Amino acid sequence: MARLSFAVIAALVLLLGAARARAETVVVWHAYRGDEEAALQAVSRTYEREHPGVTIDLLAIPHDAYSAKLGAAVPRGHGPHLFVDPHERLGFYLREKIVAPIGDGLDDATRRALDPAALAAVTLDGVAYGVPIAGKALLLFVNDALLPKAPPTMEELAALVVPGGYPLAYEATSAFFHAPFMHAFGARMLDDADHFAFFGDDAARSLDFVRDLSRAGAVPEEASGALVKQLFVTGKVAAVISGPWLAAELREEAKGLRYHTEPLPIVRATGNPMRSYVTIEAAIATPIATPAARAFARWLASHDAAVVRARRGRQAVTTSSAWEDPQIEADAELQSFREAARTGVVTPVTPAMRAAWVPANQAILKALREDMTAKDALLQAKHRWEDTMRPPPPPASPAPGLALGGLVLLGLAALALRRARAAGFAAELRASMPAYRYVTHAAITVGLLVVFPLAAGALTSLFAGTRDAPVYVGLANYLGILTARGGDLLGHGSFYLTLLVTVVWTVVNVSLHVGIGVAVGSLLSRSWMKIRAVYRILLILPWAVPSYVTALAWKGMFHRQFGAINAILTWLGAEPVSWFSHFSTAFAANVATNVWLGFPFMMVVTMGALTSISKDVLEAAEVDGATRWQRFRLVTLPLLKPALLPAVVLGAVWTFNMFNVVFLVSGGEPDGATDILVSEAYRWAFTKDAQYGYAAAYAVLIFGLLAVSSRVMSRRLGDPEAA
Amino acid sequence: MMANVGVEPRTQAAPSAGTSAGETPVPVVAEKPVRCAVRGVTKAFGTTPILRGVDLEIREGSFAVLVGSSGCGKSTLLRLVAGLEEADTGSLWLAGKDVTRLPPRDRDIAMVFQSYALYPHLTVKDNLAFGLKLRGTPAAEVASRIREASAMLGLDALLERLPKQLSGGQRQRVAMGRAIVRRPSIFLFDEPLSNLDAALRAEVRVEIRRLHDRLGATTLYVTHDQVEAMTLADTLWVMNKGLVEQKGAPLEVYERPCTRFVATFLGSPQMNMESGVLVTKDGATYAEGGGLSVKVDEDRFGSALTRGRKVEIGVRPHDFVPARSGAAACSLKVEIVEALGFEAFAHGWLRASGPRIIARLDAEEARRVKTGDTLPLAVDPTKVHLFDPETGRALDAE
Ligand SMILES: Nc1ncnc2c1ncn2[C@@H]1O[C@H](COP(=O)(O)OP(=O)(O)OP(=O)(O)O)[C@@H](O)[C@H]1O
Ligand SMILES: [Mg+2]
Repeated sequence: MARLSFAVIAALVLLLGAARARAETVVVWHAYRGDEEAALQAVSRTYEREHPGVTIDLLAIPHDAYSAKLGAAVPRGHGPHLFVDPHERLGFYLREKIVAPIGDGLDDATRRALDPAALAAVTLDGVAYGVPIAGKALLLFVNDALLPKAPPTMEELAALVVPGGYPLAYEATSAFFHAPFMHAFGARMLDDADHFAFFGDDAARSLDFVRDLSRAGAVPEEASGALVKQLFVTGKVAAVISGPWLAAELREEAKGLRYHTEPLPIVRATGNPMRSYVTIEAAIATPIATPAARAFARWLASHDAAVVRARRGRQAVTTSSAWEDPQIEADAELQSFREAARTGVVTPVTPAMRAAWVPANQAILKALREDMTAKDALLQAKHRWEDTMRPPPPPASPAPGLALGGLVLLGLAALALRRARAAGFAAELRASMPAYRYVTHAAITVGLLVVFPLAAGALTSLFAGTRDAPVYVGLANYLGILTARGGDLLGHGSFYLTLLVTVVWTVVNVSLHVGIGVAVGSLLSRSWMKIRAVYRILLILPWAVPSYVTALAWKGMFHRQFGAINAILTWLGAEPVSWFSHFSTAFAANVATNVWLGFPFMMVVTMGALTSISKDVLEAAEVDGATRWQRFRLVTLPLLKPALLPAVVLGAVWTFNMFNVVFLVSGGEPDGATDILVSEAYRWAFTKDAQYGYAAAYAVLIFGLLAVSSRVMSRRLGDPEAA
Repeated sequence: MMANVGVEPRTQAAPSAGTSAGETPVPVVAEKPVRCAVRGVTKAFGTTPILRGVDLEIREGSFAVLVGSSGCGKSTLLRLVAGLEEADTGSLWLAGKDVTRLPPRDRDIAMVFQSYALYPHLTVKDNLAFGLKLRGTPAAEVASRIREASAMLGLDALLERLPKQLSGGQRQRVAMGRAIVRRPSIFLFDEPLSNLDAALRAEVRVEIRRLHDRLGATTLYVTHDQVEAMTLADTLWVMNKGLVEQKGAPLEVYERPCTRFVATFLGSPQMNMESGVLVTKDGATYAEGGGLSVKVDEDRFGSALTRGRKVEIGVRPHDFVPARSGAAACSLKVEIVEALGFEAFAHGWLRASGPRIIARLDAEEARRVKTGDTLPLAVDPTKVHLFDPETGRALDAE
């Protein structure tokens, strides 16, 4: 019976599948969750009802993986027809050939119905690439219980007294959240020529202003988004600066919280409003977008769809007519979202803007921590921006490289020929044939998994420019790295300084790993440790937990105001330490995390090696008159050495490349000082305008350094077995 | 137990020593002071008692051998003396000093392990020098002692090698060298020869005794091997179940075992045992039972010989002789003859249900005896041992 019904269902599914295959399918990717996703699904179903034969295939992709997936799928033709994304990445997508003109997706009627600023946001050089559907900007969320109505100026808001809390919270160290202050002081991120402009008096005054807020205790220091939300939900803060996404999260996580939204106040010192950067979300066309896909994009901006998206998805839609809908008109929160988006500044989409965020963030952080004056910090940011945006090296003639490669190949061929001519070679080869057969599959696997990527990486390092238009530049990338791009050889971000940090990092870590690992391993091997099985498991735990989880946990513990470590320090009567604002403390925080992660390995190796040391030998030493310490130093340690040595080499290589900890714990703070070579390479590839060739050159240099130094280390440490 | 205070009397054994053991005087070394004394030592691992009140003493220059069945606590006792284990009760004295609570390094002892326990990462030379360097011996002195020891043991060619580059016998010699250079107040050996083959063992055995005499050393030596025990010892200490059962010169112990255990433990093949009773025949005392009827030495057993007393009769295989007609103490039904060339052993029984009996035969006699023969045997009365079946003690040691 069950089998029959199963067969019937299977047949139905097959039939349905066949019917669907004949219909036209529009694949749409998005990163929406909750109400926004529900609204998008609702309008898609409506569209499918009204357009029989068209299927809208929605795929939700986690936000973190979104860009990467697009970049991987679209150029290979596996991507969606449309995807919903903020307009900021449009410039980058265009360069990577992920987007295509939206064409008839934006007909004249639709254009007229849309907010002109939003339209402009999706238009590059006169060509539109998507249909804008909603705008998002920062505004003020006010806790009703603490503050019925926000005062009109920022100064008054900051002067409020919230017992045990703060009048205001926002992600103060982020340039995106600082932008409203920047705008209020008349500064801007880029000038009309698309050059970095976040420096000078106005910009510095905006930083001084927020620094004073922080000094006065009006805002919590270095708050993350999660912390801001938590403070708001627990009633510890009267108002927070955030966007519509916070409203969505509060609807899900804090149903009982009474709050309202208001526009950002004005800054009394200048009399200017605080204008947020505005993100325009758009349905963007990919190169494979079909007419049906463009029609659906157009329909998303229609009055009907916009009304559903606004009501259901709580979006500040860009379709003007939707706002005349009585229900939407009466919705104060939605109105405030729209107001914030309309009065804000649409974020520029140029590569110059993308390259501006990181230096701007660093400058803000330094000014807030008062490591530097705002002015100097901003000037430094300008230099960094220029460093990132420096023109790529001039194309080089590939002739010398090719000639060299050719010569090497020729030499190898000549060598092979000579071998082949040698007497008995053929017979030898025939005799070794079975042996070669045994290793071929391994050789092929290793070739595919190791040699090929390595070679590809090495080749990449000879190029500059984008993925699609690489320019052969010869050794210019290496030259740039090794000459610190013409700057100070031991200056900020130079290869040599980072190398020095990396070496110190490796030496300190490996010493501590071995020291603690051997000490704990020896203790746990003692027969008098009755519950050592329990300890063994407990101590291996740090190793078993994924390292990024551990790293994030440690980062949290080192937080200046809310971290466990400062809580303990305070409890002990010490001053809390701002861990990530000084090299030494940030470095120490990284080391603590990595030692925690790394010592179990050495511990396990030690315990294994200890079991092979005969008890008799230790007792012989005891009878010979050795103290406990002498037995350890003169017998145990030398006998552990052969087992520890490979572990030390391996550990050194791992630590040298320990990206997770550095990236997640200190994130290179303060100001890239704790970055090691790999995390520096990562920044060139992924945060500094995708300079893959430059990053690849870093990687090749790292590889070379490690290959040479681990050889040397094995030789040096491993030579005579006799002491 | 004895208090751990004061100075050990150096001339006479304390009254507690040997009270539980059959005492046989040891005239050779009686006048020398006691170098090492163990007084009423007990030791348990967990709840299992291993040593149950051991008393032992070794006089200066004497070679003491400790034997006993496997697991009876010999190694444990040796490790206690070395300081590698701690006694639960009782005390240890070395050269008149109470060392019960001292760590090994303050005891001035050297130990040769069964596994040799050489330091695998050090050359022979460094192995020898290890203990001396720890004690801060001047380099010149270290060098001269190594030279001396290596000459004594023939290690000269091996000094720069690592232990793994040595043969078993060479390692053994290095282990001894390591003890010798220390010039300790006492040498401890725990079955040092058991990892060597038979030929080498015989050679090194002689070497050890020679070294002992040459160095005038005091030695405590644990072994399983009867031959080692008999040939090396000045004094033999037989342990059983955590107690010293008998001590004395090796031949005395062999000839006058004071318990059944000692009697059967020493000698190979084992002493034959039959149960029987004492009877009087023709005015003399006989022990009879299990097909055996032997005259016993009344001078030896004296008043212990009461008529009708149940006894265990012990006769070593070597003490049977072929009987002249009519004077047979028993007749052995031969099951098998083991001929070793210079002598032979006839295995068989005296009575159908009786225990297996072994008798030694000359090579000559052995040729005449076949399986199934009945062999008349006689025993010299002085070679007959009698034990109490209940307590296992020899009748002359009660
Ligand atoms: N560390 C220990 N923990 C628990 N029991 C032990 C320990 N060392 C020895 N024993 C036990 O104590 C008893 C005596 O051991 P010991 O090594 O002294 O015997 P031995 O007389 O040297 O035997 P052998 O002739 O086989 O070497 C044995 O039953 C052994 O199992
Ligand atoms: Mg033993």
